[in-house]
Amino acid sequence: MRYWTGALIAFLLAIVQASSVEQFKIMGVSPNLMLVFLVAWLVVRGLDDVLPMILVSGITLGLVGLQSPGVVLLALLPIAGFGVIRELHIIHSDLVLVLFIVFGSTIAYEMVMLLSTMASGGTLDIMTGIESFVIPAAIVNVALAPFVYFFMRFAKPAKRMGQLSF
Amino acid sequence: MTARTLAWTSFIAIAAFALMAAARLTLLDPVENVTLNVTSPVQTTLSTVTRPVADWVNNITDAGALSDENRALREENERLTNELARAREQEIQQQTTDDLNLVRQQFPADVFLDADVVARDSSNARNVIAIGAGSGDGVREGMIVVSEGRSLVGVVTKTSSDHAWVTLITDPKSAVSAIVQESRADGVVSGNYDGSLVMEFVGQGAALKEGDFVVTSGIGGRYPAGVVIGRVSSVQTAEQDLFQKVEVDHLASLSKLEKVLVLTSFVPRTLESPQ
Repeated sequence: MRYWTGALIAFLLAIVQASSVEQFKIMGVSPNLMLVFLVAWLVVRGLDDVLPMILVSGITLGLVGLQSPGVVLLALLPIAGFGVIRELHIIHSDLVLVLFIVFGSTIAYEMVMLLSTMASGGTLDIMTGIESFVIPAAIVNVALAPFVYFFMRFAKPAKRMGQLSF
Repeated sequence: MTARTLAWTSFIAIAAFALMAAARLTLLDPVENVTLNVTSPVQTTLSTVTRPVADWVNNITDAGALSDENRALREENERLTNELARAREQEIQQQTTDDLNLVRQQFPADVFLDADVVARDSSNARNVIAIGAGSGDGVREGMIVVSEGRSLVGVVTKTSSDHAWVTLITDPKSAVSAIVQESRADGVVSGNYDGSLVMEFVGQGAALKEGDFVVTSGIGGRYPAGVVIGRVSSVQTAEQDLFQKVEVDHLASLSKLEKVLVLTSFVPRTLESPQ
């Protein structure tokens, strides 16, 4: 895949995330379609393909989503770490792998956001934050993940397995 | 993990820290301004198109409270409630003429600048919006922002030439000095991660009830006095606690704001400690 294609998709995805998806509130939190898409892309296309998309989507979401681009990039970086699990072939079902990585990446993403907010001041309670949006966000994103994953599998079979595996 | 993957990962990590430093030094402000200028029409269009679907989904998923919430009625209710609150406030303030005169001297005529909401903080941890008016339009940091129904929305925390960032009162970092209109009990209204408001530091002796209006007290000089924040939705009192726990429903529909008013005639004051 050419980088510019991934970069364009990542850019558009970040704008959709910032302007449309943030309006949806499920369990009091907005789903992170961008993160789920990046994880699905990671599982279907591989780590090398997703890293440039993390860079572009993180910076774009930071700029259009009123957040610090650096913090968003840092929050998305654990996806790369979870990508190692894919390469190690520890989990053989791609769907389970997607769900696992989405859950872990969301926890990491929201924790970075929480800590960043706490670091910038205010009277904030970490346990309240975890209870209010970190865990709910992980649940919501996991619920969203199968739809995004199946859409991507339909668009492009996985390189890793060579055949469909759920 | 290949060398190429490691190189990419390292590059992203370095870029993240570099961008955080750049943001800290406000070096990204021009870039943010240009990006918002370019993308805000697209964002506004996407947001407008998606809103009915989002409202529908939110109504389904938010099982507790809002299946019958109607946006137009809510705005109308907010406007009428504000009028009622202002009428009550005037009635109470007439009893303390000196205070009223002082307020009038401080804020002789409110001047508002209307602005569209062009973007929202997309994280779950913060409640910040960007509006389509900035320092070039006379907006300054510290100015307060109200809804079209004149309820308190938040405060301007950052400006660029064309845009301003408004930290909403529901942001976890927000704290507003407030009083309960009926009992005159004072406290601090703070935001929560879930978008709710809680009034803290209200003494156990204060007689509060559901439906009481909560307005800004003006203490500290960061907000003008008498701006309606919301209504008391619940009061929890425990004998062993020093303060009551008061939950407040904000009047403005903060998650659906499309247009806001910046109170440009109010300049926040910084109080210095007595010598």
